[in-house]
Amino acid sequence: MAKTIITVAPNGAWPKKENNPNVPITPQEIVNDVYDCWQAGAAIAHLHMRDDRGFGTMSTDKFRETIGLLREQHPDCDIILNLTTSGDLDATDETRMAHLEEIRPEMGSYDCGSMNWLNTSLFINHPDFLETLGKNMQAWGIKPEIEAFDPGMIANAAYYLKKGVLKAPLHFQFCMGCANGIPGNMKSLLFMKDTMESLCPGSTWSCFGVGHSAMEMTYGAVALGGHIRVGMEDNVMYAKGQLAESNRQLVERAARVIREYGNTVATPAEAREILGLTK
Amino acid sequence: MTWGPMYMYYRCGTCGKQFKYAVDLIPRFGEKFGNCPVCQTPGVFVKDGARTPDDGDYEEVDE
Repeated sequence: MAKTIITVAPNGAWPKKENNPNVPITPQEIVNDVYDCWQAGAAIAHLHMRDDRGFGTMSTDKFRETIGLLREQHPDCDIILNLTTSGDLDATDETRMAHLEEIRPEMGSYDCGSMNWLNTSLFINHPDFLETLGKNMQAWGIKPEIEAFDPGMIANAAYYLKKGVLKAPLHFQFCMGCANGIPGNMKSLLFMKDTMESLCPGSTWSCFGVGHSAMEMTYGAVALGGHIRVGMEDNVMYAKGQLAESNRQLVERAARVIREYGNTVATPAEAREILGLTK
Repeated sequence: MTWGPMYMYYRCGTCGKQFKYAVDLIPRFGEKFGNCPVCQTPGVFVKDGARTPDDGDYEEVDE
Protein backbone atom coordinates (compact mmCIF):
# COMPACT_ATOMS: atom_id res chain seq x y z
CA MET A 1 0.00 0.00 0.00
CA ALA A 2 1.42 3.37 -1.01
CA LYS A 3 2.39 5.77 1.74
CA THR A 4 1.58 9.46 1.46
CA ILE A 5 3.39 12.10 3.46
CA ILE A 6 1.46 14.98 5.00
CA THR A 7 3.38 18.20 5.52
CA VAL A 8 1.76 20.84 7.67
CA ALA A 9 2.60 24.50 7.10
CA PRO A 10 0.86 26.01 10.12
CA ASN A 11 1.38 29.73 9.74
CA GLY A 12 3.66 31.04 6.98
CA ALA A 13 4.72 34.66 7.09
CA TRP A 14 1.49 36.25 6.01
CA PRO A 15 -1.84 35.35 7.70
CA LYS A 16 -2.57 37.03 11.02
CA LYS A 17 -5.14 36.64 13.77
CA GLU A 18 -7.34 39.11 11.87
CA ASN A 19 -7.48 36.64 9.00
CA ASN A 20 -8.10 33.65 11.23
CA PRO A 21 -7.79 33.79 15.05
CA ASN A 22 -6.57 30.19 15.01
CA VAL A 23 -3.32 30.90 13.15
CA PRO A 24 -0.42 30.08 15.52
CA ILE A 25 1.85 33.07 15.94
CA THR A 26 3.89 32.80 19.14
CA PRO A 27 6.50 30.08 19.73
CA GLN A 28 4.22 28.35 22.26
CA GLU A 29 1.25 28.46 19.90
CA ILE A 30 3.37 27.00 17.12
CA VAL A 31 4.63 24.22 19.39
CA ASN A 32 1.10 23.31 20.51
CA ASP A 33 -0.06 23.32 16.91
CA VAL A 34 2.80 21.18 15.59
CA TYR A 35 2.27 18.60 18.31
CA ASP A 36 -1.46 18.46 17.56
CA CYS A 37 -0.80 18.03 13.84
CA TRP A 38 1.81 15.32 14.47
CA GLN A 39 -0.74 13.39 16.49
CA ALA A 40 -3.21 13.75 13.60
CA GLY A 41 -0.77 12.36 11.02
CA ALA A 42 1.57 15.11 9.86
CA ALA A 43 5.08 13.78 9.28
CA ILE A 44 6.72 17.09 8.37
CA ALA A 45 6.29 20.57 9.84
CA HIS A 46 7.24 23.48 7.60
CA LEU A 47 7.82 26.32 10.04
CA HIS A 48 7.87 30.09 9.83
CA MET A 49 8.44 32.44 12.75
CA ARG A 50 6.73 35.72 13.66
CA ASP A 51 8.10 38.70 15.50
CA ASP A 52 6.33 40.14 18.56
CA ARG A 53 4.02 42.17 16.30
CA GLY A 54 3.05 39.11 14.30
CA PHE A 55 5.08 39.82 11.19
CA GLY A 56 7.25 37.21 9.48
CA THR A 57 10.82 37.10 10.73
CA MET A 58 13.95 35.08 10.13
CA SER A 59 15.12 35.63 13.70
CA THR A 60 17.32 32.73 14.76
CA ASP A 61 16.25 33.48 18.34
CA LYS A 62 12.62 32.74 17.49
CA PHE A 63 13.52 29.52 15.70
CA ARG A 64 15.75 28.46 18.62
CA GLU A 65 13.05 29.24 21.19
CA THR A 66 10.35 27.37 19.27
CA ILE A 67 12.39 24.26 18.50
CA GLY A 68 13.67 24.25 22.08
CA LEU A 69 10.14 24.34 23.48
CA LEU A 70 9.02 21.58 21.15
CA ARG A 71 11.84 19.28 22.16
CA GLU A 72 11.50 20.12 25.86
CA GLN A 73 7.73 19.77 26.12
CA HIS A 74 7.23 16.93 23.63
CA PRO A 75 10.25 14.64 23.53
CA ASP A 76 8.03 11.94 22.01
CA CYS A 77 7.34 14.05 18.91
CA ASP A 78 9.49 12.76 16.05
CA ILE A 79 8.05 15.05 13.38
CA ILE A 80 10.51 16.11 10.68
CA LEU A 81 11.34 19.80 10.95
CA ASN A 82 11.45 21.76 7.71
CA LEU A 83 12.43 25.37 8.43
CA THR A 84 11.75 28.14 5.98
CA THR A 85 14.51 30.19 4.41
CA SER A 86 11.98 32.73 3.08
CA GLY A 87 10.08 34.11 6.02
CA ASP A 88 10.68 37.81 5.55
CA LEU A 89 11.06 39.69 2.27
CA ASP A 90 13.47 42.14 3.94
CA ALA A 91 15.80 39.47 5.35
CA THR A 92 19.39 39.31 4.17
CA ASP A 93 20.98 36.29 2.53
CA GLU A 94 22.82 35.68 5.80
CA THR A 95 19.78 35.79 8.08
CA ARG A 96 17.89 33.53 5.71
CA MET A 97 20.26 30.68 6.52
CA ALA A 98 21.77 31.48 9.93
CA HIS A 99 19.11 29.45 11.75
CA LEU A 100 19.86 26.43 9.56
CA GLU A 101 23.52 26.51 10.49
CA GLU A 102 22.74 26.63 14.19
CA ILE A 103 19.71 24.34 14.47
CA ARG A 104 20.52 21.86 11.67
CA PRO A 105 16.96 20.72 10.95
CA GLU A 106 16.44 17.72 8.71
CA MET A 107 14.91 19.87 5.97
CA GLY A 108 14.76 23.47 4.82
CA SER A 109 12.91 25.23 2.05
CA TYR A 110 14.75 26.18 -1.15
CA ASP A 111 12.83 28.57 -3.39
CA CYS A 112 14.34 27.85 -6.75
CA GLY A 113 13.85 31.18 -8.52
CA SER A 114 12.57 34.73 -8.17
CA MET A 115 9.12 36.11 -8.82
CA ASN A 116 6.82 39.07 -8.34
CA TRP A 117 5.15 39.17 -4.95
CA LEU A 118 1.42 39.90 -4.92
CA ASN A 119 1.93 42.33 -7.81
CA THR A 120 3.50 44.77 -5.37
CA SER A 121 7.00 43.60 -4.56
CA LEU A 122 9.75 41.11 -5.40
CA PHE A 123 10.51 37.69 -3.99
CA ILE A 124 14.19 37.54 -4.77
CA ASN A 125 16.28 34.40 -4.74
CA HIS A 126 19.49 35.59 -6.34
CA PRO A 127 21.70 32.99 -8.05
CA ASP A 128 24.47 33.76 -5.55
CA PHE A 129 22.08 33.04 -2.69
CA LEU A 130 20.83 29.80 -4.20
CA GLU A 131 24.37 28.54 -4.85
CA THR A 132 25.51 29.36 -1.33
CA LEU A 133 22.36 27.97 0.26
CA GLY A 134 22.55 24.72 -1.72
CA LYS A 135 26.18 24.13 -0.83
CA ASN A 136 25.61 25.01 2.82
CA MET A 137 22.62 22.71 3.09
CA GLN A 138 24.73 19.85 1.76
CA ALA A 139 27.51 20.67 4.22
CA TRP A 140 25.07 20.93 7.12
CA GLY A 141 23.21 17.71 6.24
CA ILE A 142 19.91 19.47 5.52
CA LYS A 143 17.69 18.20 2.70
CA PRO A 144 16.28 21.01 0.56
CA GLU A 145 12.59 21.06 -0.13
CA ILE A 146 12.58 22.61 -3.60
CA GLU A 147 9.64 25.00 -3.72
CA ALA A 148 8.59 25.41 -7.35
CA PHE A 149 6.00 28.05 -8.17
CA ASP A 150 6.26 27.40 -11.91
CA PRO A 151 7.97 24.94 -14.28
CA GLY A 152 10.94 27.27 -14.77
CA MET A 153 11.93 26.71 -11.17
CA ILE A 154 12.09 22.96 -11.85
CA ALA A 155 14.41 23.65 -14.77
CA ASN A 156 16.51 25.80 -12.46
CA ALA A 157 16.74 22.91 -9.99
CA ALA A 158 17.96 20.65 -12.81
CA TYR A 159 20.69 23.20 -13.53
CA TYR A 160 21.82 23.29 -9.90
CA LEU A 161 21.72 19.51 -9.81
CA LYS A 162 24.14 19.32 -12.73
CA LYS A 163 26.31 21.96 -11.11
CA GLY A 164 26.51 20.06 -7.84
CA VAL A 165 24.75 22.76 -5.84
CA LEU A 166 21.91 20.32 -5.24
CA LYS A 167 22.22 16.60 -4.70
CA ALA A 168 19.86 13.90 -5.98
CA PRO A 169 17.32 12.65 -5.18
CA LEU A 170 15.49 15.95 -4.94
CA HIS A 171 12.22 16.58 -3.18
CA PHE A 172 9.89 19.17 -4.71
CA GLN A 173 7.02 21.13 -3.28
CA PHE A 174 4.78 22.30 -6.13
CA CYS A 175 3.20 25.58 -5.01
CA MET A 176 0.02 25.79 -7.07
CA GLY A 177 -2.35 28.67 -7.59
CA CYS A 178 -0.21 31.44 -6.10
CA ALA A 179 -0.44 34.87 -7.69
CA ASN A 180 2.21 35.11 -10.43
CA GLY A 181 2.79 31.36 -10.28
CA ILE A 182 1.33 28.43 -12.18
CA PRO A 183 -2.46 28.08 -11.82
CA GLY A 184 -3.78 25.45 -9.46
CA ASN A 185 -5.53 22.90 -11.64
CA MET A 186 -4.99 19.29 -12.67
CA LYS A 187 -3.63 20.14 -16.10
CA SER A 188 -0.96 22.34 -14.52
CA LEU A 189 -0.17 19.77 -11.84
CA LEU A 190 0.35 17.08 -14.48
CA PHE A 191 2.66 19.41 -16.37
CA MET A 192 4.70 20.13 -13.23
CA LYS A 193 5.01 16.40 -12.53
CA ASP A 194 5.96 15.61 -16.14
CA THR A 195 8.51 18.41 -16.17
CA MET A 196 10.06 17.17 -12.95
CA GLU A 197 10.24 13.58 -14.17
CA SER A 198 11.82 14.74 -17.42
CA LEU A 199 14.40 17.09 -15.90
CA CYS A 200 15.03 15.57 -12.48
CA PRO A 201 14.18 11.85 -12.71
CA GLY A 202 14.00 9.97 -9.46
CA SER A 203 12.72 12.97 -7.50
CA THR A 204 9.85 12.87 -5.04
CA TRP A 205 7.17 15.54 -4.92
CA SER A 206 4.42 17.07 -2.86
CA CYS A 207 1.97 19.84 -3.65
CA PHE A 208 -0.65 22.19 -2.32
CA GLY A 209 -3.09 24.66 -3.80
CA VAL A 210 -3.93 28.02 -2.31
CA GLY A 211 -7.52 29.14 -2.09
CA HIS A 212 -9.99 27.49 -4.40
CA SER A 213 -7.54 24.92 -5.72
CA ALA A 214 -6.73 23.44 -2.30
CA MET A 215 -8.90 20.33 -2.52
CA GLU A 216 -8.25 19.74 -6.22
CA MET A 217 -4.54 19.68 -5.52
CA THR A 218 -5.00 17.44 -2.47
CA TYR A 219 -6.93 14.84 -4.45
CA GLY A 220 -4.57 15.29 -7.41
CA ALA A 221 -1.49 14.64 -5.32
CA VAL A 222 -2.87 11.40 -3.97
CA ALA A 223 -4.09 10.20 -7.37
CA LEU A 224 -0.80 11.02 -9.09
CA GLY A 225 1.43 9.47 -6.48
CA GLY A 226 2.64 12.62 -4.80
CA HIS A 227 2.53 13.86 -1.23
CA ILE A 228 0.39 16.56 0.37
CA ARG A 229 0.92 19.85 2.14
CA VAL A 230 -1.86 21.52 4.09
CA GLY A 231 -2.02 24.34 6.62
CA MET A 232 -2.96 27.92 7.25
CA GLU A 233 0.15 29.24 5.52
CA ASP A 234 -1.68 28.45 2.30
CA ASN A 235 -5.35 28.46 3.32
CA VAL A 236 -6.98 30.07 6.35
CA MET A 237 -10.35 28.72 5.20
CA TYR A 238 -11.57 25.16 5.64
CA ALA A 239 -14.39 25.56 3.13
CA LYS A 240 -16.33 28.38 1.55
CA GLY A 241 -17.29 30.82 4.29
CA GLN A 242 -15.80 28.61 6.99
CA LEU A 243 -12.57 29.51 8.72
CA ALA A 244 -10.31 26.60 9.62
CA GLU A 245 -10.71 25.74 13.29
CA SER A 246 -7.13 24.56 13.50
CA ASN A 247 -4.31 23.15 11.42
CA ARG A 248 -5.18 19.79 12.91
CA GLN A 249 -8.54 20.00 11.19
CA LEU A 250 -6.78 20.41 7.84
CA VAL A 251 -4.38 17.54 8.58
CA GLU A 252 -7.24 15.28 9.57
CA ARG A 253 -9.03 15.96 6.30
CA ALA A 254 -5.87 15.18 4.31
CA ALA A 255 -5.48 11.94 6.24
CA ARG A 256 -9.08 10.99 5.45
CA VAL A 257 -8.51 11.62 1.74
CA ILE A 258 -5.38 9.47 1.79
CA ARG A 259 -7.11 6.59 3.56
CA GLU A 260 -10.26 6.76 1.46
CA TYR A 261 -8.11 6.53 -1.65
CA GLY A 262 -6.49 3.38 -0.31
CA ASN A 263 -3.11 4.73 0.70
CA THR A 264 -1.72 4.97 4.20
CA VAL A 265 -0.54 8.10 5.97
CA ALA A 266 3.25 7.98 6.24
CA THR A 267 4.70 8.19 9.72
CA PRO A 268 7.73 10.43 10.25
CA ALA A 269 9.94 7.30 10.17
CA GLU A 270 8.40 6.23 6.87
CA ALA A 271 8.73 9.75 5.50
CA ARG A 272 12.42 9.70 6.38
CA GLU A 273 12.79 6.50 4.38
CA ILE A 274 10.87 7.89 1.39
CA LEU A 275 12.90 11.12 1.38
CA GLY A 276 16.24 9.51 2.15
CA LEU A 277 16.78 11.45 5.34
CA THR A 278 19.62 10.00 7.31
CA LYS A 279 19.62 11.91 10.61
CA MET B 1 6.67 30.93 1.57
CA THR B 2 3.19 31.54 0.26
CA TRP B 3 0.50 34.07 0.99
CA GLY B 4 -2.82 32.39 0.27
CA PRO B 5 -5.06 33.55 -2.53
CA MET B 6 -4.83 37.04 -3.95
CA TYR B 7 -8.02 39.02 -4.49
CA MET B 8 -9.15 41.96 -6.58
CA TYR B 9 -11.66 44.13 -4.72
CA TYR B 10 -14.45 46.07 -6.43
CA ARG B 11 -17.38 48.35 -5.75
CA CYS B 12 -20.40 48.42 -8.04
CA GLY B 13 -20.92 51.87 -9.56
CA THR B 14 -24.61 51.15 -9.94
CA CYS B 15 -25.80 49.54 -6.70
CA GLY B 16 -22.79 50.20 -4.44
CA LYS B 17 -22.22 46.55 -3.61
CA GLN B 18 -18.67 45.64 -2.53
CA PHE B 19 -17.33 42.36 -3.84
CA LYS B 20 -14.10 40.53 -4.59
CA TYR B 21 -12.77 37.95 -7.01
CA ALA B 22 -9.86 35.59 -6.39
CA VAL B 23 -7.20 36.09 -9.05
CA ASP B 24 -6.83 32.33 -9.50
CA LEU B 25 -10.40 32.26 -10.83
CA ILE B 26 -9.69 34.49 -13.82
CA PRO B 27 -9.82 31.43 -16.16
CA ARG B 28 -13.20 30.39 -14.77
CA PHE B 29 -14.89 33.79 -15.10
CA GLY B 30 -13.18 35.09 -18.23
CA GLU B 31 -14.75 38.36 -19.38
CA LYS B 32 -17.19 38.29 -16.46
CA PHE B 33 -14.36 38.60 -13.95
CA GLY B 34 -14.90 41.82 -11.99
CA ASN B 35 -18.62 42.08 -12.74
CA CYS B 36 -21.08 42.93 -9.98
CA PRO B 37 -22.87 39.71 -9.00
CA VAL B 38 -26.17 41.64 -8.78
CA CYS B 39 -26.06 44.07 -11.71
CA GLN B 40 -23.74 42.02 -13.94
CA THR B 41 -21.93 45.22 -14.90
CA PRO B 42 -18.17 45.79 -14.53
CA GLY B 43 -17.26 46.90 -11.02
CA VAL B 44 -14.98 49.79 -10.10
CA PHE B 45 -11.60 48.46 -9.04
CA VAL B 46 -10.78 49.42 -5.43
CA LYS B 47 -7.59 47.50 -4.52
CA ASP B 48 -5.94 44.13 -4.69
CA GLY B 49 -3.82 41.93 -2.46
CA ALA B 50 -4.05 39.07 0.02
CA ARG B 51 -6.81 38.96 2.61
CA THR B 52 -7.05 42.21 4.59
CA PRO B 53 -8.82 43.04 7.87
CA ASP B 54 -11.80 44.49 5.98
CA ASP B 55 -12.01 41.38 3.81
CA GLY B 56 -15.42 40.51 5.23
CA ASP B 57 -16.87 43.76 3.87
CA TYR B 58 -16.52 42.39 0.36
CA GLU B 59 -18.65 39.49 -0.84
CA GLU B 60 -16.65 36.82 -2.57
CA VAL B 61 -17.91 35.94 -6.02
CA ASP B 62 -17.02 32.36 -6.79
CA GLU B 63 -19.94 30.81 -8.67
